[in-house]
Amino acid sequence: MPAQSTRPLDDERSDVSAAATQAGRRSFLEWLLATLLVVTGATFVRPVLSYLSPRKSGKGAHVLLGTDGRSIPYARLATEPTLVGMGVDGEPTIVVRYAGETRAFSAVCTHLGCLVKWEAAKAEFICPCHNGHFDANGVNVAGPPPKPLKRFKVYATDRGEIGLEEVSA
Amino acid sequence: MKRLVTSVWRWIDTRLKLSDILRATLTEYMVPANLNFWHTLGFVLVTCFVIQVVTGMLLLMYYVPDTSRAFESVQYLSNEVPYGWLVRNIHAMTSHLFVLALFLHIASTVWMRAYRNPRELQWLSGMILLGLVLAAGLSGYLLPWSQLSYWATTVATNAAGSIPVVGDDLVLWIRGTPKVTQFTLGRFFAAHVSIIPFSILVLIGIHLLFLRLTGISVPGGEERGPVRRVPFFPHMVVKEIGSVFGFLILLNVLIFYFPQINFPADALIPANPLETPAHIKPHWYFLANYQFLKLVPSEFLGVILQVVGGIILFFLPFLDTGKRRSPLYNRLFYAVVGLSILGYIGLMVWGYYS
Repeated sequence: MPAQSTRPLDDERSDVSAAATQAGRRSFLEWLLATLLVVTGATFVRPVLSYLSPRKSGKGAHVLLGTDGRSIPYARLATEPTLVGMGVDGEPTIVVRYAGETRAFSAVCTHLGCLVKWEAAKAEFICPCHNGHFDANGVNVAGPPPKPLKRFKVYATDRGEIGLEEVSA
Repeated sequence: MKRLVTSVWRWIDTRLKLSDILRATLTEYMVPANLNFWHTLGFVLVTCFVIQVVTGMLLLMYYVPDTSRAFESVQYLSNEVPYGWLVRNIHAMTSHLFVLALFLHIASTVWMRAYRNPRELQWLSGMILLGLVLAAGLSGYLLPWSQLSYWATTVATNAAGSIPVVGDDLVLWIRGTPKVTQFTLGRFFAAHVSIIPFSILVLIGIHLLFLRLTGISVPGGEERGPVRRVPFFPHMVVKEIGSVFGFLILLNVLIFYFPQINFPADALIPANPLETPAHIKPHWYFLANYQFLKLVPSEFLGVILQVVGGIILFFLPFLDTGKRRSPLYNRLFYAVVGLSILGYIGLMVWGYYS
């Protein structure tokens, strides 16, 4: 007669219960480790995003600067009807004398960011990249540009520089 | 000498079992016997990547990522450093051939419909690689800080501004400042020399792992019956080396007979943020997108249509499912793919001459 298993049923039950407890501990440990990794990773998110965040300069009144970083004298407008320089927030800015008035616009075409040129004969700003046209008020009149050029108020500062101020839309 | 080499090899092999690995990956790895030129493009692409990494390391020894010195450093490298012109030309020209080989690899995969079950993940990793290679081209274009690089980057990054809601912020994050400046050069430099190449390396590994796990697709399709198989080495390796040498011949012809491809007049003038040169155009591989933007009256619509096209291409394995399809479906599929390829080439040529 073959030998019967002498192992009591209670022992088998306790084995199952121990295995279940071990599995419970293991899943808790896995959960704990996963949480630890996520929290550790999360602590780096803010510093990394801040490190990569774009630089912005403050808004407000600025003066027109040349490529050498020096301000352009207002008196130059008397001899040169068109001036291009860096304006508010370093924005390439075009200043023109037209119909006895000094006007300043962002030189950045609203289509894809090329710089517009002033065509005095046509009284238009023209973008060389995709042939966008803007009238003397900076309004887009032909070609692909979707909106007008940004306009600035122009004035002579106390130091004789070309002052620029954003005109709110 | 031969005995010394053999004993050194044996010493290493007994510890690392390299000969077992080589046997498993070369002579015991069986591939379909009817693989053709189109299946060798992956190896050409890996070769391109290696060339770019090696020449890139050499260029780094002289390049200065500073807006006031970048142009001058590239000129010095090209004109004063012995063979600097060659290293720069190889790097620039290989970037074109890298994209060309990648386009051909993708087109052939679509034509053979090799992206279908079970190779969907391989396709997705390949699509991400395409994005990374194009990003490498775009970021590398800015580094010489010439009129061409400055304005092509300005136009290319501005296009992202048309994406609704997030467009303006996206442009700002790409550039680091509202305009292309030193901050942009710093970002593009970091991306070009470390982030993108490292990501490409990891993804090539993943792509090749998927290839080994799913197996190379059979020309004509697996469903046509049993396929005769041959060892990867020497059969496939010989074909791949043939394609690589064909690529190297083309590279040499372009470098020595058509070096001006990389250096139009605007590439020889330092960047001037206050003067846009006339007729600025992007790289040839962005010309179709550029021309499409010019043709569609609304910039927003032009960008959205291209984004939708990209999404369709990315998820192609999930749109073209099933092993067998009706002849009408197949004819329609090849008509759409053929017209898309022709349309893309047509827009590219139009963009070049417009």
